[in-house]
Amino acid sequence: MSDSDESGGESDFYALPGDLMMWILIISELLVFGAGLLAFMAMRVTDPAGFTAAQGHLNATAAGINTVVLVTSGWLAALALKASEAGQVARVRLLLAAAASLGMLFLWIKGMEYAGKAAEGINFETHTFFTFYFLLTGFHALHVLAGIVILALVGWKASPRNLEVGTAFWHMVDLVWVLLFPIIYLLR
Amino acid sequence: MTATQGWLVLVALSVGSTLLAWSGSTGAVAAVAILALAWVKAQIVLNVYLGLSQVPAWSRGFAFVLGLFMLGAMGLAVAAGAV
Repeated sequence: MSDSDESGGESDFYALPGDLMMWILIISELLVFGAGLLAFMAMRVTDPAGFTAAQGHLNATAAGINTVVLVTSGWLAALALKASEAGQVARVRLLLAAAASLGMLFLWIKGMEYAGKAAEGINFETHTFFTFYFLLTGFHALHVLAGIVILALVGWKASPRNLEVGTAFWHMVDLVWVLLFPIIYLLR
Repeated sequence: MTATQGWLVLVALSVGSTLLAWSGSTGAVAAVAILALAWVKAQIVLNVYLGLSQVPAWSRGFAFVLGLFMLGAMGLAVAAGAV
């Protein structure tokens, strides 16, 4: 490889938007969720009827609404990044507050869903489906909570660099949900 | 694609996949269709929201790994339907 090739490759490597450490975190999280979802799919092969019956207890409509809530929140975060690049700090904070509020709405809907399962007497041990359901959606909900805190922090220290890093985490949370939602809630 | 265009497509695809499930469609074809919609949505989040369209080499790398994941998920969905 020539020197110019090497420098080109290096510049590509560092051209990722945001901070490299955040990307390492994002890739790690995606691999963990990806492995969990594939394990869920593999277990489903062993008992498709049981998984379909268990899935019948889920509210796909509420999860669909939550999908729209989260992708809308991601859109607001993307707009906040654009506003920070234009130096519009007040607009950045307004957009991030709206994005974080939608994140809280997502968690409220998720909480209602868990309360419904508890009322039905459904828990981790009810069926393998619910073991994966609670693990994957619960782990994701914790990431939503972490993302809300990160959005608040980057809203407080609203530099373009901070916005790029913070919104990247929020979009990772979005990305995981768009893969998790159909696999857990929709496939029959 | 701008962030707003990406958001509109994401909302439309999310509604589309929910309606597909609502319609009572089951089996391998419905599963592959629902996962294909998720695949497109994930690509939009990566390229538009996360800005990977600005870094084609990374975009291709993520697309390759995502493709392996989605093909694996589709294969397992078809296998579950065949049991």
